[in-house]
Amino acid sequence: MDASNANTSRRAFFLNGGAALGAGVTATGVSLAGTAQVPQQQPPSQPATDVEAREQLACAQDREAIRQLHYRFVQLIEQRNYEAVAELFDAQATLALSGESASGRAGIAHLLSVGYREQTVAALHEAYRGNARQHQDCITLEANRLGARALWHVDVAIGTPLQGDCTAAQMARLQGLLAERRWEAGRLQARYVKRGEDWKLAVLEYHPHIT
Amino acid sequence: MSRRNYQPLPLHRMNWSDLSEDQVAQALQPAISGPTAPSSPSAVLTGQRLKIITDDGPTLEYDFRTARDLTLSENGGPAIATGYGALPSRNLVLISHMIPGTQRGYNLVVDTHHGLATVFEVSFSEYAKQETAAAEAAKRAPQFRMGRRNREVMRQVWFGVVDDGRSKPAERHVWTNRLEGKGIHWTQDDGTELLEFYLSIISSNFNELTRTGGELTFCSPSDYVMIDDHQFIYSRIESEFSGAFTLQVIDLFNMTQKGVRLGLTEKDLLEYRLFTGNGKITGQIATFEVFGNNADTRGARRVYRPIETFEIMTDAEAREQAINNAHAFGDGAGSGSSNMGGYKSERVTKFAGRKMVVRTDNGGPALDYDFVDDKKLRWRYSGDADWREAWYEMYEPDEDLFFFAHFLDAEYPRSCAMVAFDMKNGLTTVVKGTTGTPYRNNETSVSHHFGTFQTAGGPTPPLYVRHGWTDEMVGECVTWNYQRGNPGLTSMHFYTTPQSYSWVIFNPDGSGGMQWSSPGWYSKLRDGVYIMAWIEEACNGTLGVICYNSRTMHDAGFGYHLGTRGLTLNVIGARARHAGRFNIQQYVGIQA
Repeated sequence: MDASNANTSRRAFFLNGGAALGAGVTATGVSLAGTAQVPQQQPPSQPATDVEAREQLACAQDREAIRQLHYRFVQLIEQRNYEAVAELFDAQATLALSGESASGRAGIAHLLSVGYREQTVAALHEAYRGNARQHQDCITLEANRLGARALWHVDVAIGTPLQGDCTAAQMARLQGLLAERRWEAGRLQARYVKRGEDWKLAVLEYHPHIT
Repeated sequence: MSRRNYQPLPLHRMNWSDLSEDQVAQALQPAISGPTAPSSPSAVLTGQRLKIITDDGPTLEYDFRTARDLTLSENGGPAIATGYGALPSRNLVLISHMIPGTQRGYNLVVDTHHGLATVFEVSFSEYAKQETAAAEAAKRAPQFRMGRRNREVMRQVWFGVVDDGRSKPAERHVWTNRLEGKGIHWTQDDGTELLEFYLSIISSNFNELTRTGGELTFCSPSDYVMIDDHQFIYSRIESEFSGAFTLQVIDLFNMTQKGVRLGLTEKDLLEYRLFTGNGKITGQIATFEVFGNNADTRGARRVYRPIETFEIMTDAEAREQAINNAHAFGDGAGSGSSNMGGYKSERVTKFAGRKMVVRTDNGGPALDYDFVDDKKLRWRYSGDADWREAWYEMYEPDEDLFFFAHFLDAEYPRSCAMVAFDMKNGLTTVVKGTTGTPYRNNETSVSHHFGTFQTAGGPTPPLYVRHGWTDEMVGECVTWNYQRGNPGLTSMHFYTTPQSYSWVIFNPDGSGGMQWSSPGWYSKLRDGVYIMAWIEEACNGTLGVICYNSRTMHDAGFGYHLGTRGLTLNVIGARARHAGRFNIQQYVGIQA
């Protein structure tokens, strides 16, 4: 199902939802590569049948699971628990964050646990915060509820690693110190896949907000 | 002052036994009687019952039957009898005991006034389990280069309350930075005399004047807990050394300490004793957190283990790197601004085309120089016929005072010369770094040589006046910002004794973080201008040498390092801030 065609139907309500505001607010689908649209909020509709009610509940549960997966990603990045971050990704997933990219869960684990932890990358994401555009956040479920896309508007703390391998630099890295740390507004564009009962990240890309 | 007994080996050179779990259990057997104490045991708890409930940790129910014997029920379990010791301090009581049949024990500070308690649960033979679990979580191989460290005390800290049947307080003792920056000289009731410096919120620096002689200071991971504005709990574990645990209650009103020490000595004998002491503040230096940051949400404490992570090279590997992979100043391309050279000054080029002879006293290096251009020189030991070429960089840390360095590659082990020469008086100091020590072939060693130089247009040098050793820097704390950016790379030097120094790396919030210490050498070139050298022994092996100008708060220096990526000579250039000074000269240096 093309989620962008379903915006006006009751089913579309089940499949789309504003991430920040929860299941009671609908949201339009968004282009993964493009600019987010401001969601058109619609009043919640009542399910006509038990089947629809169950489907609505299942959609809400999926959206909540995806939200929790996103929050988990954010939390683990900030905790620098990179091995656990990698476990959030599907086996064939891709990750692209501010010039650093990796494919496959093993590649993502390597990028994070080596490149991030040992600060061998040129830039690394240290933390995320929801920003003033987070009302545009949205999750779009595919019709079969085995896939989903989401858009998360964030401010990201981008760190520039320390240079060199002198003792002071080694000790500083162990403590998480960076040469430079700055905040940048942007968005995380994600695609998710459902594996059994669990949602996994299939694609995660960061794009800076360009004014 | 008590008598000084210097140890033949510093703590980081001792071959601490890698005891088996059974050997540790054997050594701990006397601990079930409780800690020893110079005076008779305190009966402050005799006949009392106490129930401690900790947050997310154990519930401990005590029955103190005598001044030496108690029974303990852990988490509602059966009562276990064991020996203990207690020391009161105002409204606080320090209690220490081990648990029979285990390698575990508790050290508690009970706050009878506020109904609070802080519990340090300690255990031996736990490092390997924790390291294995951490390695599995991080998907890396566990590190046991220094053995399984069964002798090292591990600790878990629990905050909690005293359950006296009344309503339980919501407050807790908290992590703190309120001791940060303070130094205290302690004289303990058994005659032990030591200096402690609390320059970090996760580490501390200690100089045990009576136990080690006081030549060097050492650093260990530490905990700081605040009881109130004048009472604190301080604890350290000498992780890279004996593994011993020290905990003490510090009272800044009457400057007393009440403490316990638990561990195994260099002879693998149990040291488990209570102590008291009287202190004297040696100084309070600046701290660098933003106002309002009290470190009460400190989080987990990282343990710095440089001995564990030191890269060990074979003789062949060290030789190969030193001879065939040696690079000074990027082979003429320049050191760049990475590592410790982010604020290096303008390079001095005006000696290009000039010649100079350097003579040092007492058979030290005698060197002839021909500065071919601004980056390359020729040198030879005086009397040799052949010249050798080398890359060099030269800086001017004070007016007409110059400092340059280059490889000395005429022999193996390889060396370098770092030469300071003063165009106002003809004096020179040559710091010669050489690869290899009796302990590690990829550590460096150093020798200092004072003398004179002559060059066309230079001054006529003196016959007797020389640069010389100094203790003027002892006690000073200076931050060095090596790399641009915020926070950049900043280390705080603490010039601890005339023979040693220590450094602190800041946490991202500006609080003091991990520390290490090393031997250090201090010589004076001019008023307020010094050469300070250190070797990162049992850590990285690097020789660092800076010419520090305390007027400009800047330095010029060089780092000499041998590792798996080669032999390197690079520039150091940093900007300094004065953090403060400890008045400790009366305790260190030559004492008799």
